Amino acid sequence: MQTELIKNLLLFGPEVTIVAFLVALFILDATFPKSRGSYLGFAIVLMASLCGIWITCQLGSQPETPFFSGMVIHDGFGRFFRYLFFVTVAAASWVAFQSKEVDSKSRTEFALLILCVLFGMNLMAISTHLLMLYLAIETVSIVSFAMAGFKREDLRSNEAALKYLVFGAFSSGIMLYGISLIYGLTGSMQYTEIATYLAANSAQTSVPLTVALLMIFSGFAYKISAFPFHFWTPDVYEGAPTPVVAFFSVAPKAAGFAALIRFIFEVLSVHGTAGNWQLLHPPTLTILSGLAVATMVVGNFSALWQTNVKRIMAYSSIAHVGYMLMGLVTFSYTGLSAILFYLVVYAAMNLGAFWVISLVADCRGGEDLKDFGGTGWTMPVAGACMAVFLFSLTGLPFFSGFIGKFLLFGALVQTPGLLWLALIGVLNSVVSLYYYMQILRSMYFDSSDNPVQVVATRAQIVGIVLLAIPTILFGLYFTPVIQFVERSLTGF
Amino acid sequence: MLSLMTFIPLVGMVIVFAIPRTQTTLIRWVSVLATFLPLLIGIKLYMDFDRTTSAMQFVERVPWISQFNIEYYVGIDGLSFPMILLTVLLSFLCIFASWGIDKGVKAYHAMFLFLEVGMLGVFSALDFFLFFVFWEVMLLPMYFLIGIWGGKNKVYAAIKFFLYTLFGSVLMLLVMLAMYFYSEPHTFDLLTLANLHPFSGKLIELFGYQLPLDKLFWVGLFIGFAIKVPIWPFHTWLPWAHVEAPTAVSVILAGVLLKMGTYGILRMNFPILPEATLWAANAMMILGVINILYGAFCALAQTDLKKLVAYSSVSHMGYVLLGMASLTTAGMNGAVLQMFNHGTSTAMLFLMVGILYERAHHRWITKPDGSRGFGGIASVVPFYTAIMGIAVFASLGLPGLSGFISEALVFLGAFSKPEYQTYVVIGALGIVLGAAYLLWMFMRVFLGPLNEEYQSLADMNLREKLYMAPLCFIVIYLGIFPMPVLDLMGASLAKLLSIFP
Repeated sequence: MQTELIKNLLLFGPEVTIVAFLVALFILDATFPKSRGSYLGFAIVLMASLCGIWITCQLGSQPETPFFSGMVIHDGFGRFFRYLFFVTVAAASWVAFQSKEVDSKSRTEFALLILCVLFGMNLMAISTHLLMLYLAIETVSIVSFAMAGFKREDLRSNEAALKYLVFGAFSSGIMLYGISLIYGLTGSMQYTEIATYLAANSAQTSVPLTVALLMIFSGFAYKISAFPFHFWTPDVYEGAPTPVVAFFSVAPKAAGFAALIRFIFEVLSVHGTAGNWQLLHPPTLTILSGLAVATMVVGNFSALWQTNVKRIMAYSSIAHVGYMLMGLVTFSYTGLSAILFYLVVYAAMNLGAFWVISLVADCRGGEDLKDFGGTGWTMPVAGACMAVFLFSLTGLPFFSGFIGKFLLFGALVQTPGLLWLALIGVLNSVVSLYYYMQILRSMYFDSSDNPVQVVATRAQIVGIVLLAIPTILFGLYFTPVIQFVERSLTGF
Repeated sequence: MLSLMTFIPLVGMVIVFAIPRTQTTLIRWVSVLATFLPLLIGIKLYMDFDRTTSAMQFVERVPWISQFNIEYYVGIDGLSFPMILLTVLLSFLCIFASWGIDKGVKAYHAMFLFLEVGMLGVFSALDFFLFFVFWEVMLLPMYFLIGIWGGKNKVYAAIKFFLYTLFGSVLMLLVMLAMYFYSEPHTFDLLTLANLHPFSGKLIELFGYQLPLDKLFWVGLFIGFAIKVPIWPFHTWLPWAHVEAPTAVSVILAGVLLKMGTYGILRMNFPILPEATLWAANAMMILGVINILYGAFCALAQTDLKKLVAYSSVSHMGYVLLGMASLTTAGMNGAVLQMFNHGTSTAMLFLMVGILYERAHHRWITKPDGSRGFGGIASVVPFYTAIMGIAVFASLGLPGLSGFISEALVFLGAFSKPEYQTYVVIGALGIVLGAAYLLWMFMRVFLGPLNEEYQSLADMNLREKLYMAPLCFIVIYLGIFPMPVLDLMGASLAKLLSIFP
């Protein structure tokens, strides 16, 4: 029994590390209150990430094992997301520690919060039990509310936190109700047990099950900000501090996708012949394709009329969720690996874009399109990188965003009967060009009457360039990433 | 050799980026060198080019992304080589035409060199993925070149150009992906696809309908290319982009970028989807005639010199379409020759308009308030008038100048097919209209009593004379003796035609 527990704890190593560093930071902060303005918090986050990555690496040799009585699982898929979260959390903390929006007196607080979210996200990616999943989602959400309201004196930031909270409570309530329905229908909340029950019983498309799934999906939709649970996104993004938004738009979204993918592929499907899955609840695909189309269209078209860059990016992030949902509709390995690839490149380009926005917001005190006027000429390197990020988000070749779309649309074209979805998808990416170019237009074509020159510090330039490099590199040569993604998916 | 030619401008771009922005003269001369070397390589290739074979020459082939069988695969044949020559020549001359740019010199030249990389890449790529990458890469510098250095409505023109072209490209992207997954074995190799024709007779489902695969591909690609040509009704970006862009960029737009559309149709639609091409030939013919007449009528109505030249491009690209759709030897040769000739003659026109604009700061034939724009300036700038005369006559197809031969071949080819004779008769009206709008413009701007405002207009300076000279020479030489270009493409076009019954 004891050895069992130790073995389980070992598999839980990355998360244990996070908690250990969290506690350490807490104690350090209490002991040395003067350290609050220093880079101590960042150092701890960085160390936690590095240790976490190292331990995740060490666990790579372990076979796929459910542990903690089947509440969570250790597998390649979970490992992939752990890596992703560790890296994005470290990067996002660096953005935050460079920004004026995160009050220098409460930097340690920020580090504490982001470590909590990191813990929750890791759990989301590995949980195989609906209750565990719910707890993980709540861990992420509740701490996120605090992060959204990080600028305590700022009204908009408070509004953002409150909106986030109300929406979060609402949708997680619905999700919980869906979970209880599932439990009532199948007698279990453990993924494999539900799947076994569904496979054995013919009433797969019964109305109650569909209702229960719709409710659970609404919880996921909130987390990844998919239509119709996306309404919080623009308001929260506009109000919350930019570095926090940079983080929100990347990591918790990826965690939501991790949980959603695991739910669909482990609860609603069983392994069929020839390495493919058999879907146990066929209407799911219809629901997902509807969600994908609605999310893309709403995201892209709403962004067209925005004048605040953070709102533009909020709608753009909604649109990107729509693209990624298309990959789920294919219900295939190629679709899945396309989504994972997309999440990686999306993390780099979106963090980068938000970093430049944070830079402008720090200097000019706002992030409207007019605040960006002429900034491309005063910060040549960061400006060029912003162009790279935006082109990549549009999905133009040479940049990793194109490869992401290339793989996604490739998976769609490959699947019979989904060409229509691909067509809608590509037309949407044309629409997206317009609003991304609004930002570039402002940066390069317009001149500004704002006397404040936006200049990037050296540390910021280095960071932004570090994010631009993978954005270009993976656009030109992406074989290693694809291989990594495919390795993570073996046995899934 | 080809890669060297393609990437020398990229090296030039990096060097330009490294030079401090105040060193404008150095930047200009680095750009001159970075465009001159590709021109030299182009001349070398011209001498080594084997005119008897239709096979790809100077091929370079390196695996790039193995999961998808994507290769860095370049090579040229008689179809792409004239376009490459046109590109290296015009890019080189355009650097001199950009001498007047004084804002953001560094960024301008870097973008311009990057643009040349994209253009050369498109014309030499033999892998669909590579082609697509170069095709899209061109858009980025173009967007900035129009948007930053353009005229009054530059922002609108830039985004309109970008949106239209991207719309075409995403359709192309889907076709590219579908071609890959529906061919067996999966490949992006254009030559393999052209040899196998793997798409005829298959069906694909779209919005619940079963559609023939090859026709769907054909239409998808055609729309993508038609936007670039531009073929009516996808032409509305052109007057904006061409008019707002700075002179050198207009030259590249009209001289090279428009040809990419027709080049793409000849490189992909024709050899890979021959059955669908036969199915669509009649429609292409009609579109060609519409282009000729529509462009000509629009040009006739313009009071802005540059807009007139822009619409004349629409009209002239219609001839290319007409020749291609005829699927005859004469028609095809005429079409490709017209692509080359239009490149040189329209470049001359845009450059000349640019020279005038630099001096007078406007381009009105008749000002918007109805008063007289330019008038009778032939007496002030005789040399300029002479060169402009050559450009105008080359463009309207006066015998003895280059435009005549290609247009004659096009009509000859199309007329030899009885079913197209009606179209040819209607299309030939375009020649009359072309003469009308060009000569009328010439009359209003250069002849008649002198508008006193332009008493002190300066004639062309040495730099301007120097960069016009090669174009004048080519236009006259090819008008008398077109074989140097026809020779290049004969074998390749014969092979292309051999797949059609």
